[in-house]
Amino acid sequence: MSALFFLLVSCLYSSTLTAASLAPGYAPLTFTAPVPGTYSLPELGKAQDGRVLDSQAHEHSLLALMKGKVVLLSFIYSSCDDVNGCPLATFVLHKIQQHLSKHLATAQQLRLLTLSFNPEHDTPDVMGQYGRSFQNTSLDWQFLTTRSEQELAPILHNYQLSVQKINTDDGKFTGKFTHALKVFLIDEQQKIRNIYSADFLHPETLLSDINALVTHQTHNNSPKPHATPVRPTRKPSLLGLPKLPVPRTNPLTKAKIELGRKLFFDRRLSFNNTVSCAMCHLPEQGFTSNDMATAVGVEGRSVRRNAPTLYNVAYATTLFHDGREHSLEQQVWGPLLAHNEMANPSMAYVLDKINQQADYHAAFTHAFNKPATMETLGMALASYQRSLTSAHSAFDRWLYQHESTALSSEAQHGYTLFIGKAGCAKCHTINTHSAVFSDQQFHNTGIAYQANMVTNAPTQQLEIAPKVFVNVANSLINSVSASKQNDLGRYEISQNPAHRWQYKTPSLRNIALTAPYMHNGSLRSLSDVLDFYNAGGVAHEQLDPLIKPLNLSPKDLAALLAFLQALTGDNVKQIVNEALSEPIGN
Amino acid sequence: MNTTQNSLRPLTRLLNTSLLLATLPFAFNATADETCQSPYMAKITGQEDVVYVWTLGMEGLGDEQDKMVTVDVNPVSKTYGKVIDSVSVGGRNEAHHADFTDDRQFLWAGGLDTNKIFVFDVHTDPLHPKLVKTITDFVAKSGGVVGPHSTYALPGRMMITGLSNNKDHGGKTALVEYNNAGDYVSTYWMPTDKALQADPSSVYADGYGYDVRALPRKNLLLTSSFTGWSNYMMDFGKMLTDAEAMKHFGNTVVQWDLHTRQAKKIFSVPGAPLELRCAWKTEHNYCFTTTALTSKIWLIYEDKDAVWQAKAVADIGEPANIPLPVDISISSDDTKLWVNTFMDGKTRLFDISDAFHPKQVYEQKIGAQVNMVSSSWDGTRLYFTSSLLANWDKKGLDNEQFFKAYRWDGQHLQQQFTIDFIKEKLGRAHQMKFGARSLYSTPNTATPR
Repeated sequence: MSALFFLLVSCLYSSTLTAASLAPGYAPLTFTAPVPGTYSLPELGKAQDGRVLDSQAHEHSLLALMKGKVVLLSFIYSSCDDVNGCPLATFVLHKIQQHLSKHLATAQQLRLLTLSFNPEHDTPDVMGQYGRSFQNTSLDWQFLTTRSEQELAPILHNYQLSVQKINTDDGKFTGKFTHALKVFLIDEQQKIRNIYSADFLHPETLLSDINALVTHQTHNNSPKPHATPVRPTRKPSLLGLPKLPVPRTNPLTKAKIELGRKLFFDRRLSFNNTVSCAMCHLPEQGFTSNDMATAVGVEGRSVRRNAPTLYNVAYATTLFHDGREHSLEQQVWGPLLAHNEMANPSMAYVLDKINQQADYHAAFTHAFNKPATMETLGMALASYQRSLTSAHSAFDRWLYQHESTALSSEAQHGYTLFIGKAGCAKCHTINTHSAVFSDQQFHNTGIAYQANMVTNAPTQQLEIAPKVFVNVANSLINSVSASKQNDLGRYEISQNPAHRWQYKTPSLRNIALTAPYMHNGSLRSLSDVLDFYNAGGVAHEQLDPLIKPLNLSPKDLAALLAFLQALTGDNVKQIVNEALSEPIGN
Repeated sequence: MNTTQNSLRPLTRLLNTSLLLATLPFAFNATADETCQSPYMAKITGQEDVVYVWTLGMEGLGDEQDKMVTVDVNPVSKTYGKVIDSVSVGGRNEAHHADFTDDRQFLWAGGLDTNKIFVFDVHTDPLHPKLVKTITDFVAKSGGVVGPHSTYALPGRMMITGLSNNKDHGGKTALVEYNNAGDYVSTYWMPTDKALQADPSSVYADGYGYDVRALPRKNLLLTSSFTGWSNYMMDFGKMLTDAEAMKHFGNTVVQWDLHTRQAKKIFSVPGAPLELRCAWKTEHNYCFTTTALTSKIWLIYEDKDAVWQAKAVADIGEPANIPLPVDISISSDDTKLWVNTFMDGKTRLFDISDAFHPKQVYEQKIGAQVNMVSSSWDGTRLYFTSSLLANWDKKGLDNEQFFKAYRWDGQHLQQQFTIDFIKEKLGRAHQMKFGARSLYSTPNTATPR
């Protein structure tokens, strides 16, 4: 038995070393070893080459020594006396050798390489002596060194091994090193598949990994969440909608819609590549955000208003809650340049960024026969948004196709209330042959008045975990709140005092999908909205005269709710699937 | 920024700083700031020379960029208590956590917003870290993971926890593995399989992420859970009053098989469990976490049947007032746990000698707000910084931004010095990591990298 094993044995049985002070690799595994084939060993990089000497002083390429085998490569120096250092690596490799002497088929596919990082002392002859007692016919185990520190240095560098000589105070080398123990598992393709340090180095887990490579050849199979599905084809769903308004200057084409969709999901359209259009208008959340009342832009900047749904936005005659735009082609530049949304410093910045991408160059050329410009970028995004038409709902089939069973009797009662006692249709209009559910006008419901003019209660109830509520002082909340921005609605555009706190009437199509509601997302459910209107909104001098207490019964409210839930288009799933098939630009 | 050469004599440094090699027996366990490191990382058990402070840029202040700030904390240095270096990285990235590779040669610092990871060489000149690489492919390579948070060293690689995703900026996220060279390795999505729930009646299998810690001898990897980009980037007050947003916090700790990276069990830990800290002693098979919103200390422990369990073991302050526990630091002897509470700006010391019954034994107000705490290995020096998240920090005069050094005498914290990060035009001070020249000072180092 070699000197190494005397050292090992003496260390292992020394009264100064307790079991707790020995590395786990010396003791039986305290957990069940993983079963080969049930887990992945992802590639950690390529094995690196270098010039090495075997114990007969023959020079080899390190990679050549790995050829055709699964390899365990350990770095040691022969005079290392730290029981949890180099001796541990050799001990573990020896245990593997012992085990595989009974599993020759596996043993024949494995090679052990032990390479010294102390070439001055560890000559080929020294390494030969070091390894002599470990070499047998069952397993190929080679003990290597290098010709010099100069030849060693790139190997250590490439395997990212930090090794430092320990010197005496007067600068003389003590013959000892500080180093982190590392053993590398390398597959037949010379890819590193695992790296073990002392805490992780155990013969049983190494054998599992070896068997995984020898028998199962596992590969990195990490799940990807956004695997691109086959893009479905979508039919227009226009029953119940008027003729699609399309500007003569921007006729819809497949190329423009597809380009617009690509832009819509590209986070690079924001200044710091974090926010795309789709981050606030989420396809799976009704092309709004169900998870927050008001939107959040670049660097988390607060946006005052709820992100409006984009379903059927083609029919809106004005855009934004305050109606400050009237063309989708122009509107897209608003969020792109707003400091609290996508925060781009200029149009040129956006266009330069897009035009520098090869894929966009081709797509714009295909759609417009010219690169991205202020005009073509707007036209592409507008085309995609214009394609998000959704109707042919149960309501549409009942009213416009006369399918008497399409709408439940409760929803039919809701419809009667909607156009009658409840007065909803005065703003959310329904016409003879179609319904956009918006009068395209501006109204004051009192929501903004309340938010801007009414003093809050001294405390607020917060849900800090599911069904765990606490009442918190507003002073505490205010200490971490940025100054709240005022919101005067349509007045901000018109400067007409009569327009204070007025907002555009939104369409109600797909309304069940687009919570939370109102311009500031302050009402979380449709029931909350119905209760709000049933109570007559927020009473104040400028409240829209159309809004007044409705005295609707719970049954009436339930009927209205059923009616609103019947306004969901039949192509939502298709639209969402199509949207999700678009790779996200990062 | 002026930089000044530290004046320590080499011999003094060598005596004051000892390096716990990875191969020493008591380095087998994970985890405080010197007591919070990854398993098997070289540790500073004596006097640290510097503290690296990963700092968020502030609009309107200085150069407005995120930066790695180096503070001289060695009392015998002429520049003790001063900023001796600052490396701006470009942009505001929501600088948050940072940690070393297993060889402690490089410091990886993540940006929760832009998803960049900045890699600093800290071994060539530990007093002057150098930005040597910026990883920009984190989202694309990982398959859509957003918000690189903990950068936790495993042998030859870094395990990085995400907080969000690029699909909806919600809380569903993953663990992402890179090798030490900065190349992507693999992605492991947080489990949402209800069959893994420790309590079958629980409603939680949220798939959220935050921190990660390992106990190799138990083949244990634990992850905690916070919230997605939409919330952690949102103005804190706006979020607190948004009932829907408040529903999107993590309520889970996940037990993983460390070797196979497979999720084994999901514990219900309601109220956003954040930092994970595992005990050091080999007979202490447990880790602590604290819940930010519900203000509790939770113990994740192995029971007598070798089954891992989770239990709430103490309240922190008055939970109804939302003190908001943030960073924690466990002592190297497993007897003390420092817990910072952001909203009241206090640090609290818990006696955890009985891990199942922590008792608060001390508290002190550090500032109007406080977030991170880092302890020296011997527990006599503690450092505090102020920033939680750019948009969660307090507003107005309470937005104090500082690095504060204290000495703990076993009874009281005694303040040694303060650096005002606003007065110095630096930004919001967040994560702290220790550096020491003696870690790298041995002549004839064999591996220039």
